[in-house]
Amino acid sequence: MSVLTVPTGRPRHKVRLLNRLAWFLVPAAPFLIVLALWALAGEIFKPSRQTLPPIGDVVAAIYELAVSGQLATNVAASLYRLLLGSLLGLVTGVIGGFIVGLNRKIAETLNPVVVFFNAISGIVWLPLMITWLGIGTALAVFLIWNTVFFIVFQNTALGVQLVSEVYEQGVRSLGGSRWETLRSVTLPGALPYILTGMRTGLGFGWRALIAAELVGAASGLGTMIFDAAEFHRSDIIIAGCLIIGTISIAMDRWLLLPIERRTVQRWGLVADAEKER
Amino acid sequence: MSLASASGAPGRPVGLPSGWAVAARQLRAVKILFPFLVLIAIWWAIDAAGNFSDRVLVSPKRVFDTVIMLISHGVLAEYVSTSLKIIGIASFISIVVGVPIGFAVGANRYAARSLEGFLRFLQGVSGIAWLPLVIIWFGFTHTTTLAIVIYTLIVPIIFNTMVGARAIPEQYELALRSLGAGRLRLITDVYLPGALPSIVVGLRLGMGYGWRALIAAEMLVRQGGLGDLIFGARTSGQIDRIIGGMIVIGALYLLIDRLLVQPIENLTIARWGVLRK
Amino acid sequence: MTSASADKLSDKIVVSGFRHFFETEDGPVQATGHIDLVIRGGEFVTLVGPSGCGKTTLLKALAGFIRPTEGTLTCDGKPIRGPGRERGVVFQELAILPWRTVRRNIGHGLEIARVPRAEREEKVARLIGLMGLAGFEDRYPHELSGGMRQRVAVARTWAADPDVILMDEPFAAVDAMTRLTLQEELGRLCAATQKTVFFITHSVDEAVFLGDRVLVMTRRPGTIKAVIDVPRRAAGGRDWESFTTDPEMQSIAERVLKLVRAERGASQAEESRAALEATA
Repeated sequence: MSVLTVPTGRPRHKVRLLNRLAWFLVPAAPFLIVLALWALAGEIFKPSRQTLPPIGDVVAAIYELAVSGQLATNVAASLYRLLLGSLLGLVTGVIGGFIVGLNRKIAETLNPVVVFFNAISGIVWLPLMITWLGIGTALAVFLIWNTVFFIVFQNTALGVQLVSEVYEQGVRSLGGSRWETLRSVTLPGALPYILTGMRTGLGFGWRALIAAELVGAASGLGTMIFDAAEFHRSDIIIAGCLIIGTISIAMDRWLLLPIERRTVQRWGLVADAEKER
Repeated sequence: MSLASASGAPGRPVGLPSGWAVAARQLRAVKILFPFLVLIAIWWAIDAAGNFSDRVLVSPKRVFDTVIMLISHGVLAEYVSTSLKIIGIASFISIVVGVPIGFAVGANRYAARSLEGFLRFLQGVSGIAWLPLVIIWFGFTHTTTLAIVIYTLIVPIIFNTMVGARAIPEQYELALRSLGAGRLRLITDVYLPGALPSIVVGLRLGMGYGWRALIAAEMLVRQGGLGDLIFGARTSGQIDRIIGGMIVIGALYLLIDRLLVQPIENLTIARWGVLRK
Repeated sequence: MTSASADKLSDKIVVSGFRHFFETEDGPVQATGHIDLVIRGGEFVTLVGPSGCGKTTLLKALAGFIRPTEGTLTCDGKPIRGPGRERGVVFQELAILPWRTVRRNIGHGLEIARVPRAEREEKVARLIGLMGLAGFEDRYPHELSGGMRQRVAVARTWAADPDVILMDEPFAAVDAMTRLTLQEELGRLCAATQKTVFFITHSVDEAVFLGDRVLVMTRRPGTIKAVIDVPRRAAGGRDWESFTTDPEMQSIAERVLKLVRAERGASQAEESRAALEATA
């Protein structure tokens, strides 16, 4: 908005260049502000290392974790669970969503149950599943599956129902079989919704995983920060949180966004994934 | 979510005998309850056939009795009110603080760009990951839980308010300004209603994340609340309490969603024909 | 498919005793009246009628998307039981797939029929040239203009080489200038390929311009009210310039317009009466 008010006296192209530079750099600003406030708080309040460690400590903690191999082990453990749980959730969710989306009778019958189990999906199952599965990978995978499944399932079902009937009729009138319409119409047509579901689902799944690892695992990023809390190592906790955030962003940017770009955006179907986060 | 799709059969509806409407409504109630009855029957059969220990699985009747007992002793009310109070305060604060921030940021494209990345990062570090640090700061108290839930709720609210504010067509503002509207009028007549659908999306998503963060935080903080109820029951092996608590959590969440969030959505989005893509 | 042009005068599509009702939650609603109809091989038949008269219902039944409540529909003597490759459809809404490029959309029917790749590509390339889509082969539909998308839709149907082509107001959504071009192109394409075409439209001019025979439908529940033959001087001579200057064509168009107007006027009067009753 304020781009239009060009200060007089400065050449226009220079302003444009500055604007572009600012546009490029501006995402870093909030991070820098937080860092500055953090440093400032350290100077003014002189908090104990346990309450608010200096920035240097956190950097050192990350370095220490990385060099000792602890970081790699825990990240690997967390990602392994996430991958397994999400894949299961994706596959079962898409299949379930197709069955329900294609059959109104089944959809209407199952809807109340789905709504209810969606309401308790994820972390709510932790106490029951600890008793049934014990602490470990199975527990975390179950919680992630449970979280991802419902989101993908509901989005897929919705997407399948919303695929325009006329596309299907078009392919049928070309002589396409039921299977052909499923493959070339319903699946790509529902893809924007499936991808939205996957993105949202991974977001929820990642949270569920960290929560599950706080108490229900012997390794992983959640366990790492929870153990650190016992020794009041806030530097490790903060380091852990930063790593958790970075991984989450990286997954979205480098895994899901490219898929979306190559499919849905290329086809001119805009997913509302951007909005929903 | 609605799993049922509207059928677009052309033709004017013909009048319907009024007795039918009542019968249809009763049929609907049966339809909703039916799948649950099937599930309970399966659960009953498994429990009866498997001869499980009480620490693994109990009968639906035991769970029902336990819930009744918890209600009649006033225990459940206490746990529920603790949870509801925290989610209520957290929603209130998140809306009151988050919406203005969202607008302020949405008004400027540099600010919006700068905060977008930061908010995504914050969302990636799930609230629960900060729990160990917040426990160091505030101890095992309600303040800790509240802080975590606010953190979880406020991010999607700010983010979606920002998106909503930026999506309002400029003509709306220009049209009102040309009618002589002042700043306050613009806020009440253009910005708020224009961004409301998006804000509601944020609130719904935030409630989804926030409710789970609340349950997870309560499990770890152990100062009352439904998360404490089911996690505490785990340590003493009371499966009946765990399952009963899960059912209460699901029902409560649906109640909040259906009684509070959905009516707002219906009032705004459906009424104005502003459809989410 | 086989000999489309050989049996030019034989009955291609026969509709007898057709009537259709939609099942709604409040009971059946009548969509069309009693319809009998014969379309001969190689003929271009257009159908005009007021909106909601059941035109699309008839077309959908011919396409095999809906089962008629009453009556029989046959194509080449065989009853129509579902969609089939011998009956291609060009839809009112855009039915080409957004996730396929122009080339892959046009070749879709051939892909389904397992036509070998080389042959498929050759056919597709020919149609791309014929429809003026050269240079856009690898674009996705959303990157094309409305008129071009409709060309792709037409080409897709032609590529599958059906005997009969059913078209449901295919040019309703494109702008007026583009529509004129598309109509002329369709005329040329039909003359070149000798297909049997059943074409639904709102526009009287379009119906007379394209059709060898024009059917006029009554308002809902629609029946066929009149059949008007349109003599073609030169085979396939369909261009707008001669159409607008030919007094015979103009007088036919006027006749059809009068027939359609009468229906539209009647249905409008009825609608406003119903609206008044509803508010009273």
